[in-house]
Amino acid sequence: MAGDLKKPFAGLRVADFAWVGVGPLVSKYLADHGAEVIRIESSTYPEALRRVPPFVNDVPNVDGSGYYANFNSSKLGASVNLKHPRGPELAKQIVATCDIVTESFTPGTMAKFGLDYESLKVGRPDLLMISMPLYGQTGPWASYMGYGHVLQAAAGYNHMTGWEDGPPIGTGVAYTDFLVPHIATVALIAALDYRRRTGKGQYIDFGQMEAGVHGLWTALVDWTANGHEQIRMGNHDPEAAPYNAYKCRDGRWIAIGCTTEKHWEGLKAALGRPEWCDMDRMRRRWQRINELKEIDRHLGFWFEDYTRQETEDEFQTEEGVEGPPVRKFTTKQILELMQSFGVPCGIVQSAEEVANDPQLKHRKHYWQLEHPYMGVRQYDGPAFKLSKTPVELTKAAPMLGEDNEYVYKTLIGLSDDEYIELLADGAFE
Amino acid sequence: MTQDRPPIPLEHTDGPLTGYRVLDFADEKGQLCARILGELGADVIKVEPPREGDSTRANGPFFKGEAEPNNSIYWWVMNAGKQSVTLQLKLEAGREILRKLIATADIIVETFTPGDSAALGLDYESVSAANPGAILVSITNFGQTGPYAKWAATDIVGSAMGGHMHLNGDPEHGPVRTTAPQAYAQVNFQAAVGAMTALYARGVNDGIGQHVDVSMQEAMTSPMDHAGPTWDIRHVNTVGPGVNRQNAGIVGGRYLFETADGWITALQAGGLIGPNANPIIDWLAESGEARGLDSPEWRARLTALVPQTAEDRTYVEETMSAFCKSRKKEELVAEAQRRGAGWAPVFSPREIVDSKQLAARDFWIRVQHEDLGESFIYPGAPFKLSETPWRQRGRAPHVGEHNEQIYGELLGLDAAELRRLKMKMVI
Repeated sequence: MAGDLKKPFAGLRVADFAWVGVGPLVSKYLADHGAEVIRIESSTYPEALRRVPPFVNDVPNVDGSGYYANFNSSKLGASVNLKHPRGPELAKQIVATCDIVTESFTPGTMAKFGLDYESLKVGRPDLLMISMPLYGQTGPWASYMGYGHVLQAAAGYNHMTGWEDGPPIGTGVAYTDFLVPHIATVALIAALDYRRRTGKGQYIDFGQMEAGVHGLWTALVDWTANGHEQIRMGNHDPEAAPYNAYKCRDGRWIAIGCTTEKHWEGLKAALGRPEWCDMDRMRRRWQRINELKEIDRHLGFWFEDYTRQETEDEFQTEEGVEGPPVRKFTTKQILELMQSFGVPCGIVQSAEEVANDPQLKHRKHYWQLEHPYMGVRQYDGPAFKLSKTPVELTKAAPMLGEDNEYVYKTLIGLSDDEYIELLADGAFE
Repeated sequence: MTQDRPPIPLEHTDGPLTGYRVLDFADEKGQLCARILGELGADVIKVEPPREGDSTRANGPFFKGEAEPNNSIYWWVMNAGKQSVTLQLKLEAGREILRKLIATADIIVETFTPGDSAALGLDYESVSAANPGAILVSITNFGQTGPYAKWAATDIVGSAMGGHMHLNGDPEHGPVRTTAPQAYAQVNFQAAVGAMTALYARGVNDGIGQHVDVSMQEAMTSPMDHAGPTWDIRHVNTVGPGVNRQNAGIVGGRYLFETADGWITALQAGGLIGPNANPIIDWLAESGEARGLDSPEWRARLTALVPQTAEDRTYVEETMSAFCKSRKKEELVAEAQRRGAGWAPVFSPREIVDSKQLAARDFWIRVQHEDLGESFIYPGAPFKLSETPWRQRGRAPHVGEHNEQIYGELLGLDAAELRRLKMKMVI
């Protein structure tokens, strides 16, 4: 590797007014790839994620939330009280040193403090700004508030998650918070690349719902072109079978999703070609979709019959059954057996299993970073690896206002006296 | 053809990526990634095997249910606005043309199993030899190297092995994925971030190309919310049911409630976020349906940022369920928002298409399918860039629709050469 290559975003500075999930995950991409990102927060209305668990030692502390920390690696922390008479002006001075401004407040909030794009861009044709509220800057829902837990409803994900003929039951997470930041980042870097070539900044009106519905795969055009409304169908797939999760003896689940004839042939071989799966009506993908229930029933029995706990004997004889002992598989053995036949399958892994997953370890997905209060903690890296300008999580999440001296003295040039005076007056709270 | 026939794809002269070229050798894991780069202005060339075309043309759903290669709605959505050429990468003559295409490209997206890509001339060594500035985006199930590198996977496997699926479902039925394939969606978008990051890195590093190695499994660890830190800090595994909020591994309040005409998500009630509970408690009290939740003791408990006991949770859920069941969802959401509570309706695809908000934002785009004599509504701009807009680029291409244009105009092959290549089944 050439050692003198610049990190992708080296030399770019970001004033990050965004909070919770979406905004911080956008600026995390930039920070982890070399940008200097300054989280601009306030102790008078702390970032929501600083107030929610998991906390180190289960003790609530604005500097102790793992939820917050994971989304804010490699960033600096500054604090400003926008309600202090000097607050908005200080924020503006920070922005003046930055290339990019990110925010996710309800539309109008930034303008209230003179921090909207129209005000900030004066004399700054290269300024790039992205606003990322739930529903965009205009329209009847522009002022609607919420978080990813509710936006996923409006964006269709609750409708698409749950058991066949049952109510919507998930997704269990603030789903769109983990989908739309990627899309926002694509827009932001595209605009940044345009700026690099032309010197021109711009404003990005990002509505989380509008980006979010692009993840619904074929559901929207299936409705507009066919009048067919897709809906949740458990683990099944409208296009393929078998497609489901099956329970093993140790209580874990194995997910199998066969979409091609090759997958199906592999599965038959892995199962030892039992009679049921060689029947004519199982031959083609479309036929198997019709035989879904029967396939699931057989596979369910197979997993019941041929799996074992780690502690149980590999060869077991069943009471009242003639013949030699039958080989039973641990969950891991089944996974390896089926994969050796090319069957798309995997264990439904818990957070613990994911943290210890050999493949993710090989890819160094998780970073261990030391935080002054939280100690060494696990942080997510991106799902992509760049061969020549690789990701580097340079530091743990910032404590609230941790870098105020750097930001206010070095960057915007306050004197020691001014800094102390403003500090004493609560401007940095 | 008549003069009304729109060019396929539609021009995009003012996008942030106008002037860049993308080659798309991807399956479900990368076609959407390439499409979005096209909508930002890049020219995207979808490269398909000769004759029958790309295997994903067989993916449903199909227009009017008729399984024809140009009828796949999957194909329409993922490949809208691309050009299509056919090329047989299994032949050396095909790989020779591939190298010429690569020489003109900025970004190449491929999804072959590690090892298979080398035989087709799509490994980084071959690509960088043909064009040192090219960015090769390889999107695979588990990544280029490592113990699972060659393992098979489809969407559900990515959800399972990445950890997202574990957070959903219920103890009785087991874990459940989202039916619209989210491992595919996630890896497409995250790969696009990787592609853009490498493109920017090239700009500031004298035109260096590089290899972007993307893993679908890894992409599905991202939507685990705070289950990762919860394991790391508390050594507790987060599990379903997904209908409840999860607070650092502790089952929190329910956030999905049935109304008189559908479902809503009501985050602040039952799944409380501190002081935001008060406007909802007031609303319940004004309606005479608070069942005592407006007492100072209850308020203190509901507005505190500590997990509720199971009994308290059940009582709040019953109160909320009764309140919501007797009202309509849009009215509930509008009134909750008026009171400062961030509720939202559970929308189906139809309701999303009918959404007043998206209509007011001019979101939808009518795409001409002149080959069918029809036009259809597609989702529009995922973001509004003030200077360099996103644009929909028209319908998806037919197999090899742009062979003459690309091979003739771009690579300068003459008609006789094209015929020869066609005879030899190279294109």
